[in-house]
Amino acid sequence: MSIFVQILFNSLEAGGIYALATLGVILIFRTSSAFNYAQGVISMFCAFIAANFLHSTGMNVWVATIFGLFSALLVGIFIDRVVISRTINLHSVSKQIITLGLVIVFLGLAPMFFGVDPMTYPRFAHGAVTVAGANITHGAIINISIGIMVVAILFFVIQKTKWGLAVRATASNGLVARLMGIPTPVVTMGAWAIAAALGTLAAVMRAPDTMVNLVMMDSIQITALLACVLGGLGTFHGPVIAAYLISLGRALVAFYISPTWSEAIIYILILLVLMFAPNGIFGKKVLKKV
Amino acid sequence: MNKVFGTIKKTQPYLGFLILGGILSLAPALVANTQWFLFAWLTIFAGFVVYSIASLGMNILMGYGGLASLGTAGFMGLGAYLTMVLTVDLGLSFFPVLILTILATTVLGILVGLISLRVEGFFLAIATLVIAEMLRQVFQQMPLLGGHAGRTMPAFPTISIFGIAEWTLNRNQTYIMLVIFLVIAMFVTQLLFKSATGRALSAMRGSESAAAAMGISIFRGRLLAFALASGFAGAAGSLFMFFMPFTNPNHWNLVLSLFIFAVVVIGGVRSVAGTVLGAFIVFAVPQLFIARLPIIGDISGMDFVFTGVLIIVVVLFYPAGLVYMPISIKNGITKLINKRKKGGETA
Repeated sequence: MSIFVQILFNSLEAGGIYALATLGVILIFRTSSAFNYAQGVISMFCAFIAANFLHSTGMNVWVATIFGLFSALLVGIFIDRVVISRTINLHSVSKQIITLGLVIVFLGLAPMFFGVDPMTYPRFAHGAVTVAGANITHGAIINISIGIMVVAILFFVIQKTKWGLAVRATASNGLVARLMGIPTPVVTMGAWAIAAALGTLAAVMRAPDTMVNLVMMDSIQITALLACVLGGLGTFHGPVIAAYLISLGRALVAFYISPTWSEAIIYILILLVLMFAPNGIFGKKVLKKV
Repeated sequence: MNKVFGTIKKTQPYLGFLILGGILSLAPALVANTQWFLFAWLTIFAGFVVYSIASLGMNILMGYGGLASLGTAGFMGLGAYLTMVLTVDLGLSFFPVLILTILATTVLGILVGLISLRVEGFFLAIATLVIAEMLRQVFQQMPLLGGHAGRTMPAFPTISIFGIAEWTLNRNQTYIMLVIFLVIAMFVTQLLFKSATGRALSAMRGSESAAAAMGISIFRGRLLAFALASGFAGAAGSLFMFFMPFTNPNHWNLVLSLFIFAVVVIGGVRSVAGTVLGAFIVFAVPQLFIARLPIIGDISGMDFVFTGVLIIVVVLFYPAGLVYMPISIKNGITKLINKRKKGGETA
C-alpha cells in the first residue's frame, strides 16, 4: 500500500509538470492552430535566465522563479510580435516549421548567453513527511499543489471570465471571433506569453532533478505533444487529464512490469488507445465537409 | 539554376538530375586538388546527400499523399541500426544489407500506413512520433545496439559478388556511391510523380472523398505512400551508416524529423529539385558557410541561430517553397519593367 501511495504521489508530481507544459502546447494549438515544438526550448531558455539570476544575485528561489516567469512572459510576447503575428495567413504546416526554426534559434542562443555547463536549481523547500507509509518531500508537495492550482486557476479563467471567453471564441473560429470584435491578435499574443510562462514553471519544477541544461525539456515536450493527442485536441481539459494519466501509467508500468521498457510500453498503449479513439479520449469526431 | 536542379517547367528534368549527380561527384576531386574544398566538407556533403534521400521520401508522403509524419528520424535510425547489426554481427556484404534494410523499413512503413487508415491529420503526425520514440527506446535499451553510447562499425562498405569477387570501397568511392543512390532516388520520385499512381496520390491529397468516388483506393494509396517514405528513410539510414560508421540513439530524435519536414516545406512540396535544394540549405549551408564566416563563425551556437532564422525567413516569404523563387523573381522583374513602360507612356 505504501508503495502504491508513493507511486501515486510521484506521478502526481511528474504529472503536474507534464500538465503545465501540455496546457501551454494546447493553448497555442487552439489559438494558432499549430503545434508549438519550441515550447520546450523556450522554457529551457527562461529556466536558464532564472538560474542565472539566482546564482548571480543569491536571491530566494521564489524570487528567481518569479523573475524567470516574468522573463518568459516577455519572451512569449516578443516571439509573437516578431514572428508569429506575421504567420496568420500561413498554412498550419508552415507555422509548425516556423516553430522548428525557433527551436534551433533558442538551441543556439542558450549556449551563447549561458555557456554549455548545466546549472543547479534548488528545490522550493527541503524536508519530508510520511503519509500512509510513503515518504513525500516538501518540495514534491509544493510542486503537486502548484501544478493543480495553476491548472485550476487557468481553467477558471478560461471558463468563467470575459478573457476566457475571448480565448474560447478564438479557439473555436478565429475569423468569426475577429468579426465579432474580439481582438484575436491580442488573444494569440496572450496565449504565447502564458504558454511560455507555463512551460517555464514546468522547467523550474523539473530543474532540481535534472539541473538546468539544453536537453532538460526534450522528454517533457514530447510527453506534452502525446498528451495533447491522447486527450484530444478539441478541449482544454482533455490533454491535461491525459498528461496526468500518462505520468501515472509510466510510474505503474515502471514499477509493476519493467523499468527498462516502461517508456516503450507506454508508447504502445498510447498507440492502441489512438487506434480505438482516433480523436483522443475526450475528443469529438470532427465531420469533414466534402 | 533551373538546369542544375531539374526544372519547374514542363520539360524533362532527368538530364538535370544527372548533371546534378555529376557535379556532386566532383567533390572528391576537389578535395584532392584544391585548397578551399576541405576534407571535412565531404562528410557534410555526404550527410546532405543522405538526408536528401530521406526528404524525397517525405515529399512523396507529404506532397502527394497529403500525410504528415514526424517519424522519419526513427525510420532512418532503424535503417542505420539494422545495417550495423547485419554487417557486423551477421557479416553480410553491402547489397544484401541494403536490400534487407529497405525491406524491413518498408514493412514497418506499411504497418504505419495501416494506422494511418484510422488516425488522421495532427493525430497521425504524433502517432508517427510515438513510433519513432518507441524505436529510440529500443535503440537505447537493447544491449546489442550499444545503449546510450551507440555503436561503431567498420567504415565503408564491402561489395561482394556471390562470394567470388570482393572489394572494399574507400571514402571517395563510398561518397560517389551515395550520390548515385541520390540520383536513383530522384529518378524514382520523379517517375512516380508523373505516373498514374502519382496522380492517384495527388487526387487523394486534394480530397479523399472525391478520389474515392473516382475509384482510387485510399487504402492502397496510403499504404504505398508510407511504404515508399519509410523505404527511402531506411535506405538513407543505411547509407548514412556505411559512410559515417557510427550511430547513437540521440541522433535520431524529433528535431531531425522536424528538419526533414522543414526540408520539404522550404524546398517546395511536390518538387524533386526543390527537395534537394531545401536539403542543401538545411543540412549543408550552416556548416559550410555560416560556421566559416570571420567573427560570427567563432561564436558558439551562431550557426544554429542562423539556420533557425533562415528557416523562419524562408517560410515567411516563400511559404510555397524556394523552388518557386525564380518564378516570383521573374514576375517581380516583369512587373517592374511594365511599370517603367507605363510610367514612360504617361510622362
